[in-house]
Amino acid sequence: MENHFIAISESVKNGDHEQTINRVKEALNRGTPALELLQKGLVPGIQALGALFKEGQVFLPEILISVRAMNRGLEVLRPSLADAEVPKRGTVVLGTVEGDLHDIGKNLVRMMLEGNGYAVVDLGVDVKPKVFFTAAREHKADIVALSTLLTTTMPCFQKVIAALEEGGIRGTLKVMVGGAPVSRAFADEIGAEGFAEDCVRAVEEANRLLTGRKEMAR
Amino acid sequence: MSSLTKERFLDICHYKRPGDLCLCAGFNVFYYQTLKEWVKQGAPDYFLAETFYRNFESRLNAFFALEPLRWLYEVYSGLAYGSWVGKGSARLNLPFFEPRIVCEDERIVTRINPSGQTIRVLKESPDYSMPMFVDWPVKDRASWEEYKKRLDPRSPQRFPADWKAYAARMNAKDEPLLLNVGSFFGFLREWMGLEPLLFALHDDPVLIEDMMDTLCELETICITRAMDGVRVDAAMFWEDMAFKTGPLISPKMFRQFMMPRYRVITDLLRSKGVDIIFVDSDGGLNQLIPLWLESGINFFWPLECAAGNDAVELRKKYGHDAILGGNIDKRALLKSKDVIRQEVMSKVPYLLETGGYFPSVDHFVPPDVPFENFVYLINTLREVAGLPPLPEYRR
Repeated sequence: MENHFIAISESVKNGDHEQTINRVKEALNRGTPALELLQKGLVPGIQALGALFKEGQVFLPEILISVRAMNRGLEVLRPSLADAEVPKRGTVVLGTVEGDLHDIGKNLVRMMLEGNGYAVVDLGVDVKPKVFFTAAREHKADIVALSTLLTTTMPCFQKVIAALEEGGIRGTLKVMVGGAPVSRAFADEIGAEGFAEDCVRAVEEANRLLTGRKEMAR
Repeated sequence: MSSLTKERFLDICHYKRPGDLCLCAGFNVFYYQTLKEWVKQGAPDYFLAETFYRNFESRLNAFFALEPLRWLYEVYSGLAYGSWVGKGSARLNLPFFEPRIVCEDERIVTRINPSGQTIRVLKESPDYSMPMFVDWPVKDRASWEEYKKRLDPRSPQRFPADWKAYAARMNAKDEPLLLNVGSFFGFLREWMGLEPLLFALHDDPVLIEDMMDTLCELETICITRAMDGVRVDAAMFWEDMAFKTGPLISPKMFRQFMMPRYRVITDLLRSKGVDIIFVDSDGGLNQLIPLWLESGINFFWPLECAAGNDAVELRKKYGHDAILGGNIDKRALLKSKDVIRQEVMSKVPYLLETGGYFPSVDHFVPPDVPFENFVYLINTLREVAGLPPLPEYRR
């Protein structure tokens, strides 16, 4: 990898947004294509941080400042990316289910998915099943990601899945769930293909689910 | 089982009463919505008639044979259990902010609570769990300097007006007395919001140090004054500083920002004879417990199972260094009696026998737990301790 890509990745990984901006600007001025700076500089920085998070070497504050650094770098790139075909890993429709107003975990998942190349449609909190269905259909979602903090609203996951089935699009996408009381066993029980314990593992799980989809489609 | 005297509580904490079941009212706690559901399912109507958080002799506690551990809520030095909507979670800022509704629709009301936070809550279940936080009173150094004016440790409202009479009343009680001693992460999050706080830990550590020093000084003065009169048996921090897989900040930040201030407080408490120092934190605590132990804190609740806390493993790892509370998986109570029994039998006999354990569900009992299942849980716990079941109740 060229040095300036490595340097940008490092500045993202270190959460240094000013350095990220400067390095992205320098690389752009040297004529490096914006898309390459995104894919070989900014994104690997966030991915490296995800690995460190899983190993317990970094924590949420480091994730937040790195996502901020990446976003600042992306703002510099955005005018040059306007005409480029930025490939997306997939589209995720995300929200906290009806009856629950918690949004911290969901917001972290959104940030990490976006940082890792996903298009995310964030429906917010207290989202009705029909709204998930409508958004998933409209945006041709690859994944519907559902969050809750409460045991009382865990059954809403099944209602969303039922709405996707009734709408005839269940087979076209994957459902991923998460939240404090949620487990892999519960995900299996309700027929959700994906489960993640935190924002970093949510990206891994989304990658796994979409890899599976591509294999199924072949 | 005898009533929970100071001596019995301290003996359990000091591992001197193996097998003794103490179901503390302060750890076995319920959402109001839970009690409403239970009354619909046949529980006594008086479940709804009492503000049981503060009524330590309530009939609700008596119904489940819960024993009072008395929080000194009248001293505004820390967390206040109660309505998020009506009271806010912290009772540190004095005067309180004037509560008011910002806007509302059919389902949701947005309001400013007495802690100065702007919150959104569902009208149908205003007190169930945390609200959605929309805005916070501290945003930068200028707003912190304003907020700090409400943290005067010598504010006359911080202690009951007739302190001597209050102290005499408390000292006349048999039950153990517990003093809130604040928080070094939880309150900062209450004042700033989680994301702004996590950014500020990197971007403005000087501000964070000042906020924590202010808390440390406030608590030092409050503890000194409270214990100049009341014989406190235990102290409680509140942090809620972990999520499902671990702490919200790194051990390095914990050591840098929190540990030195914890030591000031825990050393002060120990110098005054209080060696039971409790922390309430949700989430996965496995990385935090050794840090808290090093900070002088030795009692952990609620040990949420869904976040990977295992009280049996913790007891094996820390022995008599860690007093444990909670860790009965609330999700088991949503299932069958067999599952509840399995959950109890897999951990409670061992924990009771090794001592220093206070059984409870691993957080507030949620509204989807059937009344019958909670009664079954209590009776199963009593069976483990060789006690008769609760008297049968029919409305």
